[in-house]
Amino acid sequence: ADTTLVISSWAPPTHGMNAKMWPKLTKMIEEATEGRVTAEIKYKLAPPPAQFDLIQDGAADLTWIFHGYNPGRFVATQLIELPGYQGSAEAASVAYWRAYEKYLKSANEHRGVKLVALHTHGPGQLHSSTKVTELDQIKGMKLRLGGGVSGAVGDALGATGIRVPAPKVYETLASNAADGVMMPMEGKKGFKLTEVAQHSYVMPGGFYRGSFALIMNQEKFESLSKADQDALMTVFGEPASRMAGQVWDEIDAIGVEATESTADNSLNTASEADRKAYDAIAAPIIEAAIKAATDKGVDAKAAVEFIASDMAAN
Amino acid sequence: MLAASLGFAAVLVLVMLRMPIAIAMGLVGIIGYAMETSMRAAISMGSRLIIDTSQDYGLSVVPLFILMGLFVNKGGLSRELYQVSYVFLGHLRGGLAMATIVACGGFSAICGSSLATAATMSKVAMPQMRKFGYSDGLSTASIAAGGTLGILIPPSVILVIYGLLTETSIGKLFIAGVIPGFIGILFYLAAVRYTVFRDPKSGPAGERSSWRDRMAALRDVWAVLGLFVLVIGGLYGLLDFWPLHLTFSPTEAAGMGAAGAFLIALSRKTLNFKAIREVLFETARTTASLFAVLIGAWIFSNFVNFAGLPQALVELVTGWGVSPMVVLLMILAIYIILGCVFESLSMLLLTVPVFFPLVTSLGFDPIWFGIVVVVVTEISLITPPVGLNVFVLKGVVRDVSTATIFAGVTPFWIVDILRLALLVFVPWLVLVLPNSM
Amino acid sequence: MNTNSRSQEGAWARHALAHAPSYLAATALFALMAMTFADVVLRSVFNSPISAATELTRLFMAITVFSSLPVISWRGEHIVVDLLDPFVRGRAAQVRDVLIDALAGIVIFWPAIRVYELAERAKQYGDTTEYLQIPQFYIAYFIAFSTFVTALILLLRAVIRAVAPDYLATIKNA
Ligand code: NA
Ligand code: NA
Repeated sequence: ADTTLVISSWAPPTHGMNAKMWPKLTKMIEEATEGRVTAEIKYKLAPPPAQFDLIQDGAADLTWIFHGYNPGRFVATQLIELPGYQGSAEAASVAYWRAYEKYLKSANEHRGVKLVALHTHGPGQLHSSTKVTELDQIKGMKLRLGGGVSGAVGDALGATGIRVPAPKVYETLASNAADGVMMPMEGKKGFKLTEVAQHSYVMPGGFYRGSFALIMNQEKFESLSKADQDALMTVFGEPASRMAGQVWDEIDAIGVEATESTADNSLNTASEADRKAYDAIAAPIIEAAIKAATDKGVDAKAAVEFIASDMAAN
Repeated sequence: MLAASLGFAAVLVLVMLRMPIAIAMGLVGIIGYAMETSMRAAISMGSRLIIDTSQDYGLSVVPLFILMGLFVNKGGLSRELYQVSYVFLGHLRGGLAMATIVACGGFSAICGSSLATAATMSKVAMPQMRKFGYSDGLSTASIAAGGTLGILIPPSVILVIYGLLTETSIGKLFIAGVIPGFIGILFYLAAVRYTVFRDPKSGPAGERSSWRDRMAALRDVWAVLGLFVLVIGGLYGLLDFWPLHLTFSPTEAAGMGAAGAFLIALSRKTLNFKAIREVLFETARTTASLFAVLIGAWIFSNFVNFAGLPQALVELVTGWGVSPMVVLLMILAIYIILGCVFESLSMLLLTVPVFFPLVTSLGFDPIWFGIVVVVVTEISLITPPVGLNVFVLKGVVRDVSTATIFAGVTPFWIVDILRLALLVFVPWLVLVLPNSM
Repeated sequence: MNTNSRSQEGAWARHALAHAPSYLAATALFALMAMTFADVVLRSVFNSPISAATELTRLFMAITVFSSLPVISWRGEHIVVDLLDPFVRGRAAQVRDVLIDALAGIVIFWPAIRVYELAERAKQYGDTTEYLQIPQFYIAYFIAFSTFVTALILLLRAVIRAVAPDYLATIKNA
């Protein structure tokens, strides 16, 4: 290849994003450019919150960011994290990109870099060492929560939030400093939760979804030939977003399988009544996120409706 | 491969010229990275690491464990530890030196640093050994060697940093250090016995203590024991019962240990404002110098990583077709050679990013490798010409020559090599505890 | 000539100024210890941990490290390899130390400036901490300032080493 793009990645090499997503994206890039452009991964160049700056200044060419790691900066992106959407990570990611094109773009939150894709992880569920089968049981639990919407969800459910970075989740649960964690099903395998958070309480559509972006250094993109830029643009956007969502669905399925095949683990789906109850609990969170995004000049209400109907149609 | 090798050479030259290790690694790292990307990119990368490393949640363990060690020291706990070892072992030939080793082992269980362990015990044990006519060689050597246990027996600042560099569990690393630590104590005791066997005058027997004194000494170590149980018990979930449910993450264990040591020292009235200030100032400065090196090392290892050295090394070594064990022994030989010159933390930071991918790709266990690396690092603390623990002793006991200490220490690093071989060929000794977690 | 009381006042002011960064670092460090203790007790006994504990930990660490960085640079307490000390003495050692301090001081200006620029960027993007929503740029400004002072101090040391090498030996005991 004439050009090798350097991917900066902060999760361990075994993580689904590194083991599956990046190789797939690399293959898509190679095919589109007929082998002229390829990519390779470098690990742990900097911690997650630093990745955006790294790409903006060209210390690497590509990365993925979790929007929750840069609080304050990403507000409109929280609209995809809201509870209530039904569907897979693929459906959510496709809807996310379309909503971006139509509504979220105006917030210009990814300024300074080239946006490659937007995607979500699978529906965020509750994994705990004690068995939870009803929504009420969450009250008073000590839960490790991520940032953004998932933090608000934990508060609304009456849980006590414990903040530790994702790689510390296993130790936090193993030492019982937390009773449980909210993550997509993927974590049962990826973070070995089958050992320390045996029971999963599943809310259809998830308690929340996590929001990610793939970004590229703008100058690097512009330094490519016109033909290569055009080729990349056939990959970037919806195709890349869809692919990343698919990968999350794939690794979520591995997590579900790990849960089902481990003797002392259980999967407990929320009852119809609890689903209704959660919709009511989630309503103020949705309202707050819509208000925050509206303040940033986004037609947030329309965006949320668009995402819901686009996902339903998929 | 060439760029990275030149980079290593440049760092070596600069540090030999007495440039701070942090700045040498950072400077070479940024220039090297700029050659792969651009100056703007490289400086941004370095600057982001300056901003982010100091705010790395996992690293907060480091200042807290250092703080705990210093408060423990102020609280006089080291004296009590020595006293209890003394009343049980003092009457034997070489007994005071053996008591020193055991007290060092005990102190290691509440202190995360080898230098602090050696410095503390030298103040307590050295006067006693002198009083009973121990040779300078044996007395200083038993403290210098015993002090190295500080980073193997949990808690350990070095293991924390290894854990962060390699994303391995700090809890597992800590528990993996326990058996090798005990083996270390036993082997050092054997080294003492050997020294007094060769030269009986080097370590005459002390007085035999009565059982009444022994019981009294045992009663006095409750604070040390309590602190150990709090930190390690909390870390491994052994205190998770009504009404407290004390369970800690590593950071919390360190914070509880520091606060506990602070409260113990306070209750013993050994802390006034000036003493507290001294402890906090010293911890803050030590923390800053460690973090500076961490930042420099991360920048440098990004350059090494960008230049493709780890992969090149893996390809090179697999190309030779030698067995993984031969490769490992070569790596350990490199560590022992580097250890002659380098300070322990810098050595770890320079080498782990290069060797870790190679070692794990050869199928070795990451936890086990961490312990083996720490044992090699321990050896470096007492080998000439640069043995930091020896220098610590030299600083405290000014009238003993460095040559005397190095000579006295020889039997100790020989048993260290034996222990290293044992751990390399019987990994079970390291892994049995973490694997049962 | 100074009166006695005036020189004492001057000494006190010098002490306060010289040790202000150390006191700041010590306060942050003590706060880190006390907060971690309180967090564990509140969580274990009362089931109500300090929500902002993680970000306060980060903040206290940044203050501890970057208050102390100029101090250790001034006192010459960076970790160095002193293997050649017995062989390089006198004039040669002096020249070496002047050059190395000057070089170290000069190269640190670049990251100091960039950290400042990154702080400006964080301000423009609205980056905050998660819970307390403390603007990130305050922390980055502080780090930039500390790095900048560190660079100046290293340059100053180079100058002092060149003109009055004996003075540096007195710093540690001050
Ligand atoms: Na220790
Ligand atoms: Na050495």
